[in-house]
Amino acid sequence: MNLTKTKKTTKLFTIILAASLLAGACSNNQSTDSDDTSGQTETPTDDSTTESKTSEKVTLTLLAYDSFTPSPNIFDDFTAQTGINVEISLGGDAGELVTKAGLTSGNPEADVLWGVDNTLLSRATSKNIFTPYATKNLADLDESARKLVPNNEATPVDTGDVCINYDVNWFKQRNLAPPLTLRALTSSNYANLLVVPSPVSSSPGLAFMLATIAEFGQDGWGDYWKSLKQNGTLIVSDWTTAYYTEFSGSSGKGDRPIVVSYGSSPPAEMIFANPRPTTAPTAVAALTCFRQVEFAGILRGTKHEREAQLLIDYLTDIKFQEDLPLTLFVYPANTKANLPEDFVKYSLRPESPLQLDPDLISNNLLFWLDEFTNIVLR
Amino acid sequence: MTTIYNRSQAIYWLAIAPIVAIVIFVIAPVFNIFVSSLQFESLNLLRTEAIRNVVWFTTWQSLVSTAFTLVIALPLAFVTANFKFKAQRLTTSLISLPFILPSIVVGVAFLQILPNNFHRTAFALILAHTYFNFGFTSRLITARWLQIDPHLDDAARTLGASPFKLFITLTMPLLSKAITNAALIVFTLCFTSYGVVRVLGGPSRSTLETEIYFRAMQLGDVSGAMLLSALQIVIIVALFIVTTRASRNKFKQSTKPTISRQKSLQTRKQKVIAATIISIATLFAIVPVLAIALKSINTNSRFTTTAWRTVFTSPEITQSITKTLIYAVIAMSLATLLGLLSACSVAYSNNNFHFISGLTTLPIVISAVSIGLGIIITFDTQPFDWRGAQFMLPLAHALVALPLAMRVILPVLQAIPDSLRQASSVLGASPRQTWLNIDFKIIRRAAISAAAISATVSIGEFGASSFLARRGAETLPIMISRLLSRPGDSLQSQAFALATLLAIFSLIVIFVIDSFANTKSARDSHA
Repeated sequence: MNLTKTKKTTKLFTIILAASLLAGACSNNQSTDSDDTSGQTETPTDDSTTESKTSEKVTLTLLAYDSFTPSPNIFDDFTAQTGINVEISLGGDAGELVTKAGLTSGNPEADVLWGVDNTLLSRATSKNIFTPYATKNLADLDESARKLVPNNEATPVDTGDVCINYDVNWFKQRNLAPPLTLRALTSSNYANLLVVPSPVSSSPGLAFMLATIAEFGQDGWGDYWKSLKQNGTLIVSDWTTAYYTEFSGSSGKGDRPIVVSYGSSPPAEMIFANPRPTTAPTAVAALTCFRQVEFAGILRGTKHEREAQLLIDYLTDIKFQEDLPLTLFVYPANTKANLPEDFVKYSLRPESPLQLDPDLISNNLLFWLDEFTNIVLR
Repeated sequence: MTTIYNRSQAIYWLAIAPIVAIVIFVIAPVFNIFVSSLQFESLNLLRTEAIRNVVWFTTWQSLVSTAFTLVIALPLAFVTANFKFKAQRLTTSLISLPFILPSIVVGVAFLQILPNNFHRTAFALILAHTYFNFGFTSRLITARWLQIDPHLDDAARTLGASPFKLFITLTMPLLSKAITNAALIVFTLCFTSYGVVRVLGGPSRSTLETEIYFRAMQLGDVSGAMLLSALQIVIIVALFIVTTRASRNKFKQSTKPTISRQKSLQTRKQKVIAATIISIATLFAIVPVLAIALKSINTNSRFTTTAWRTVFTSPEITQSITKTLIYAVIAMSLATLLGLLSACSVAYSNNNFHFISGLTTLPIVISAVSIGLGIIITFDTQPFDWRGAQFMLPLAHALVALPLAMRVILPVLQAIPDSLRQASSVLGASPRQTWLNIDFKIIRRAAISAAAISATVSIGEFGASSFLARRGAETLPIMISRLLSRPGDSLQSQAFALATLLAIFSLIVIFVIDSFANTKSARDSHA
């Protein structure tokens, strides 16, 4: 008797435990919204803890994509001014960063995230990964970029364009006109010449896919990619492979003369070349460009919110912003930053780049990527 | 089974720890996945097509991999079951090597030995899956084959059956259950393959497992990932039921035939065939591992120890090695303890706790990837926000290892005759003393084996880790996949060095297990 009783109590205990856990698990989804407000009300307590800690040296972790390469000692000034150390943590492609930040929303792996672009912004804000902050430099930042974040969820830090780049000499040697439009790429003249980083795993690749949607519309872009595929377009997983391994115009030894890269890739080829060539080895097809705006944001749940705000101020301040053109090859978001002469001379800033409404992107992105995978990769 | 412990209430408390761990960290997350994936409207036409493609690829590559595996395993089993030859033990160990390698190491190895144009192809995946499974498949079939009494063969031959006819009418029917069973296991393993596919597959060569990771962690399509995960669990549960059905009906012959069917090689033809089959299989087993080791000391066709020096000096990597080892120790202790507790509660109770045996199988049925996904989406709200908790990763590893740990201990425990315990208690020992002096002494070796296996599982665990590993606390498999995804020869060489290190760790562990098993059988034969 006693035995069966124990058995029953154990069973009951298990069931109650399981039920309470399951209930907790199910309520998680609904509680996300209230979680957000609690996050904001917690801010004052966060401040008090940081104030009590001012004697200790704070180290902020700045999470960024793999190709984040500012000048090596660029944060020394920040540390000298504020006493705060900055540790850079590189974590893959921008898309991967935002996704992981979404899954760790509220319990972040770092304090500040660098590199969410306008194609990923809605994913970041819908997952509520950032704590809003209006930097003191806000008034100086590019107005059209600022409009994308009306509530200051994130702060615009730079802009750039993703464009078709081509190997100037390759086309000169063969007396062939380079492709100037997206449509031209499906011509048999350019068969087996184009290499594209996959939009599924690379942010310039994604920007290029969005460019084709902006150009051909939601009904036409699928057919366009079918013709690109028939024309022998090579899809590789990331930009580095596309640009440095497969493309013939870069320092690599690839054999494809057309690549998806940045509007600022030609100045990079010029400025780093030794000896410097007389004419740029690569050029950009201006009508194929898609505008990318990059943002930095304070990750919600950081233990160092006040310090993180100081870092956002520093990232948007003149010194850091002026470092960007020749290290990341992007345009500063701060309109007061001066641009290096070489950069202006060789880079191309299209006047009316292709653009898509961020809401349209956020509502359709996953379907577009599924469609892309079905058309091109399977 | 009835034991003297049945009267003791303590047995029922033993069961609580494993039950609680599995309910909280396996069942609750999976339940959450099912409920959430029903809530989201993730089913629409486009989605279903994408999903159909993934399911189709997963299925056909598993079928072909299983066929390839059998093609290599059957001749091998024929040789090992019917002949005696030199270095038989060594070759058997070598052929078992692939199965104990962490899956990411297998992926990395085939990345190295296959030419570039085979990367990211179905062929690469199938070859790697064949490599991973052929050794243990051959062992399963050999074990059954050895049970077939050689007198049966002699009788058939005396009645005039040709070797071919003998094989078709006698051997095949007797082996068929074992072959089907092995094939089902291989199919399930290929169907849920993750590490190999992450390394060798690509966007278009994705199995359900990698697609779950890809959608959740790279695309940010968590609802799609959950839907796939739910689908995957349903499919594996179905497969699992089929497999257990098949093995339950298995014809059992507990007694070994009185004479061994392994004969020494006599004719020249026999020698040539056996030598060819054995050497092909052995080469197939060791070449990929040697290839990684070679690649780690060879960058741009020059011999260099740079990669190895970086591995032991780079703070990022040394930290990862330390974390991997610490996690392995924690996971090993936890899995062994939980395995011991659940094995005891199954063995000592009158069928009341047999459901624990099923419960501890769950982490295998629900793949590691789904467990990782489930945990990260379930424990994300205060006060249960454990996404950043240090204990999460070793705990997940322990749960993944638990089914194996428990299955190593349970049979040993069940084989202890109760008369031993009765003798002990008649002589005046308390149940506690009896347990320590009889049961514990006997299962100690099994517990060490279970610990070693749990440690290997933890060291090579990749599925759950790819969801749960946090920045700054990455384990070696995560580190390898990160190094591989970055361009540059030196980073690739570091990845190969780490893969070699992982392979060495696993080898050491298996060596430990084998030497324990051998000393045990040696002692048994003395007794």
